Amino acid sequence: MPASTQWTANRVLLLIGRLCLAIVFLAAAYGKLRPLNATPWTLHSLEVTPSSLNLSMTFFAMQLDSYRMLPAWAVSPFAHTLPWVELAVGLLLLFGFALRYVCIAATLLLTIFYGAVIHSYAMHLAINCGCFGPNEKLDAWTLVRDGLFFALGIAVTIGAFLMHKRNRAAVSSSPRAELSAR
Amino acid sequence: MRRSTKTMRLLTPVSAALLLGIGLAASPVPKETSEKSVAAQITDLSAQKSLGSPSAPIKMEVFDDYECPNCGMFYEQTLKPMIDSYVAEGKVYLIHRDLPLPMHQYSRQAARWVNAAARIGKFEVVERALFDNQMAWSEYGSENPKGNIRPIVKGALTPAEFERVDRLMEGCESDSHDELKGCAVDAAIQHDIAVGQLVPVTETPTFIVIYRGQQYPPGVGAISWPLMKQFLDQLLSQR
Repeated sequence: MPASTQWTANRVLLLIGRLCLAIVFLAAAYGKLRPLNATPWTLHSLEVTPSSLNLSMTFFAMQLDSYRMLPAWAVSPFAHTLPWVELAVGLLLLFGFALRYVCIAATLLLTIFYGAVIHSYAMHLAINCGCFGPNEKLDAWTLVRDGLFFALGIAVTIGAFLMHKRNRAAVSSSPRAELSAR
Repeated sequence: MRRSTKTMRLLTPVSAALLLGIGLAASPVPKETSEKSVAAQITDLSAQKSLGSPSAPIKMEVFDDYECPNCGMFYEQTLKPMIDSYVAEGKVYLIHRDLPLPMHQYSRQAARWVNAAARIGKFEVVERALFDNQMAWSEYGSENPKGNIRPIVKGALTPAEFERVDRLMEGCESDSHDELKGCAVDAAIQHDIAVGQLVPVTETPTFIVIYRGQQYPPGVGAISWPLMKQFLDQLLSQR
C-alpha cells in the first residue's frame, strides 16, 4: 500500500474512533441530563427545565451513592459536575478541538469509570450502572462494554498523538519551512 | 491536505446533527398510558404492607429481601428516618413488596413471617424487628442459630398477637423458596414477585417512586437518606 493511502486510511480510522468516542460521551451526558420521566431518544426527552435537570442530577447522585466509593459529602457535587464534563468532552471530540488533550481527559475519565465498574462487580453490588441514564443494570456486559470504551479511548489518544507528530514532521519538511529555516 | 482536514472538521458536526435529527424524528411516542396502568395495579394492592396515608403526594414501592445485607442497610439508614418523618407527615406512602431472592437461604421464610404479621395488622413492628436483628438470624450474621426467625417475631409481638401469627404460619415454616401448598401467606409473596416482574425488578433493594401519576425509573441499592430526602424534596417542589 502506498504511503499516502496508508496515511489517509489512518486519518479516516482516527476520525471514526474520535466520533465513536464523542458519541459515547454525548450519550452519557444526555442519559444523565434528560428528564427522568421522558422516554429516551424522543423530542420530549429534550424538553429540559431547571427543575427536571435538578431532579435528574439528584437521581444520578443516588446512583453514584450506591457505588459506595465516594465520601458522602462528595457524591452530590461530583454528580452535578460529571454530566457537564462529559458533555464538554463529547463536544470537543466531535469538533476535534485540542484533540490530544481532550483524548487524554476522555481516557482518564474512561479509566475511572472502568475502575468503578470493576470494583462494584467484584464487590457483588447489585446496583444500577448509571452510565447512560437510569435503569441500567450493572452486570458482566457493562464490564465488557466499558472495557471496549477504555480500549477505544487509548487507541484514539495514541492515534491523535501519532497524527500530530506526523503533521509536524510534514510541516517541517515542506519547502516553506526549509525557506524559513534558511 | 490542510484543506481536506478543514473540510472534515466542518462536515463532522453537520453530519452528526443530521444523524441526531433523523434519530429523533424516527423515535417512538412516550408510553405514558402503560406506565400509569402499571402504577395503578401496584398501588391498588397490599394495603396491609403499606405505611402512611394513601393520599400522600408521593408513593414509593420498595422491593426488599429481608436477608439481603443491602436491604438491611437501606432500611436502617434510609427507610427508618423516612418512615419517622416523611411517611408520618403524610408526604410519602410507602408500599412494601417482597422479593425474596433464591440466593438467600432464609429470606422466603422471613417474608412468610412478615406477611403473616401483616395479616393481623402488625407488619411494621415485625419488619422492623427482622431488619433490626438481621445479623441474629441471617446466614451472614455472626450469631447462632441461623434461620431462627420465630423468637425475633415472638419478641416483637404480644403473646396473643404471636399466637394469631403462629396459627397463620401453619404449613409455612420452611426455608424452601417454592410456593408451599399449605401455606396461607405464600400467595401474597407470589403476588409481589409477579408485580416485580412487571417492572422488572431483579435486585434488592429497589425502589420505585410514583408522583402525580408518573412513575420514575427504579432506583437500586442502599441510597443514603440525605440524597433520598433531596430527591423527594425536589419532587415535592415541582409544579
